[in-house]
Amino acid sequence: MRNVFLIAKREYLERVRSKSFLIMTLLIPFLMAALTLGPGLLAMRLMKQGTKHFVVVTSRPSVGEAIKARLTETQERETKKATELKANSMERSESTPSSQVTVDVDTNTSTDERAALTVKVRNKELDGVIWATDDALAANKLPYITLDVSSFIQTTILQESVSEALHRESLRTKGLNTTEIDAVFKRVELDPQNAKAGGPGAANPQVTFIASFVMVMILYISLLLYGINVMRSVLEEKTSRIMEVMLSIAKPKEMMAGKILGVGSVGLTQFAIWGATASVFTGASAFAARDQLKGFFSPMLLISFAVFFLLGYALYSTMYAAVGAMVNSEQEAQQASFLVIMPIVAAIAMAFPALQSPNSAVAFWGSMVPFTSPIVMFIRIAVQQPPWWQIGLSIAINLATTYGLVLLCARIYRVGVLMYGKKPTLPEIIKWLRYS
Amino acid sequence: MNTIELNKVRKTYDHFVAVDDLSFNIEQGAVFGLLGPNGAGKTSTIRMMIGITAPDSGSINLLGKPFDRKSLHKVGYLPEERGLYKKMKIGDQLTFLGELHGLEKNVARQKAISWCERLEIADWLPKKVEELSKGMQQKIQFIAALLHDPDFIIMDEPFFGLDPVNAGLLKDVLLDLKKQGKTILFSSHRMDQVEKLCDAICLINHGKPVLAGNLKDVKAPYGKNNVQIEYEGDGAFLDHNPLVKAYNNYGNYVEVKLAPGADAQELLRQVAARSRVTRFEVMEPSLEEIFIEVVGKTNA
Repeated sequence: MRNVFLIAKREYLERVRSKSFLIMTLLIPFLMAALTLGPGLLAMRLMKQGTKHFVVVTSRPSVGEAIKARLTETQERETKKATELKANSMERSESTPSSQVTVDVDTNTSTDERAALTVKVRNKELDGVIWATDDALAANKLPYITLDVSSFIQTTILQESVSEALHRESLRTKGLNTTEIDAVFKRVELDPQNAKAGGPGAANPQVTFIASFVMVMILYISLLLYGINVMRSVLEEKTSRIMEVMLSIAKPKEMMAGKILGVGSVGLTQFAIWGATASVFTGASAFAARDQLKGFFSPMLLISFAVFFLLGYALYSTMYAAVGAMVNSEQEAQQASFLVIMPIVAAIAMAFPALQSPNSAVAFWGSMVPFTSPIVMFIRIAVQQPPWWQIGLSIAINLATTYGLVLLCARIYRVGVLMYGKKPTLPEIIKWLRYS
Repeated sequence: MNTIELNKVRKTYDHFVAVDDLSFNIEQGAVFGLLGPNGAGKTSTIRMMIGITAPDSGSINLLGKPFDRKSLHKVGYLPEERGLYKKMKIGDQLTFLGELHGLEKNVARQKAISWCERLEIADWLPKKVEELSKGMQQKIQFIAALLHDPDFIIMDEPFFGLDPVNAGLLKDVLLDLKKQGKTILFSSHRMDQVEKLCDAICLINHGKPVLAGNLKDVKAPYGKNNVQIEYEGDGAFLDHNPLVKAYNNYGNYVEVKLAPGADAQELLRQVAARSRVTRFEVMEPSLEEIFIEVVGKTNA
């Protein structure tokens, strides 16, 4: 045990004192923020920025006006929402660029006009043309001419607005007045109450989704990162040939255990630093979403994050240690670590379905299969706590698998660390497992 | 008492027999040479002595007891494959290895400092290993093997890659340890070095012993039938001479292997008649010659 402790201590101190630890500790939160918030912010920015110019072509001016009114109102609502969201996030000081929508109504429905407008769209003078001729209206299918055909969100918003405008218009022609029509279209809000947290201050589903996602990404990146650290550390001992000195003092099992514990402690230290920094920042800046996050960050969640990080780390770092012992160079290590990365990637592929429907078959089995369970079970707990027996079973399966893997990988490790030169083939590795 | 006893120790890798029922003992306080050509099984044998690998069959007694990992705290090992943690500072590294060998942290550090002073590298204690030359790294590794004051010291090719000054420094340290009653095992294929230091040897080839025992006993059967001559003048008389079995002209001197039954005095008379003799010495064969002869025979 003394040897394990000494090896772990060396591993820990050498890593924590290194420059790369400092850099990674600073860099990863930025990376995380960029990865999770980046695409969203970017899309929002693209959608919201500047003035959008649409033309509605119709022979009935009332239809055109209705669509125009609806689009303008939708745009105002979206802008307001974006401003609120920004106010909640870190970019509070920066003012939201006010974006507007201009809608012209064109009553010329000739083919020539369509051609002329298409050219304008192509030259980016117009953002879109909604072709609402009588024929199209009758068919309930309006051609929408735009360069931005792939912008799903924008098209969806447009479609909703146009549909609503047309429904309103047809109700108006049936003789209803504006108040009556407004009453018909009054939006009903669903107010989700999370049964898990219960009582007031229950987490907002959007916050739950984003926060779960961020935590899962941290889990995923750290499992990979620390696993690879273990692999490289084994490889370093092998290539620098210190292995032989170490083996004359310590057992391979002790070396493997010490390494895994040491690198794992570095991981926990890093989490502690991030956690402490985050709580200082959120405390100081009176984070607007804090109340919403409060409902999400229950002690149960934080404990399960730690538990499933440790479970996943034990499982993956053991495999990574074996890979490090098998190979002779970084290049070989990269090729061989592909096998270990596969299940983590599979787990991340299951993350989205599991976030959306935590009780689906995919989520259930993903949280039971040992290689994906650290990530998938954590998601399920974050989103909607599954029955205790499932959590228990998942942890038990994971521990049992890790135990088995430790036995197998220790054998590979023991033989592999003394093998220099050529990369072992699969039959050779199987032979190593049989060595007594 | 024997420091280590190997009893019919065998190790095979797949179908390759690395060590073939090898037996030998090393007495306490002896300097023992484990010799053999490359690939003879020297390193495989050493690895089994210190529990890096386990023998397939046979037994090993270490420090008077059947092999037990606890005894390893009294063993120092300098492997042939040298290596240290490249990014670690010398002082930290030696302290760490000392601690692993069972020393307390401050004791380990203190010993590291005094050893580095003795080997004239104390200035390098705060440096990282990667900043050191090969020879210096070798000294560090040498210290790492001795830091915990082991009773049994195993050195695999200890002088490999060292300049004569440093090799001399290390040799003095080893002789000093011998005086203190430590047991030292050398593994080498450099016979000249081993010959100067060892009391006893075991020469192995293909995992089997081909020659073993006290250095004197090993050499005795080969007799004193070598002559070194330094002379001025024509050496042509050595050709086709019935007294000479073979000779090697090294420029400054000639080494002559006498024919069986030939008299060295007769040769001296012949040389003196034809040239000015500055040195004439009858010698026993060097270990290297015996090595080449024996290994050549077993390989044939």
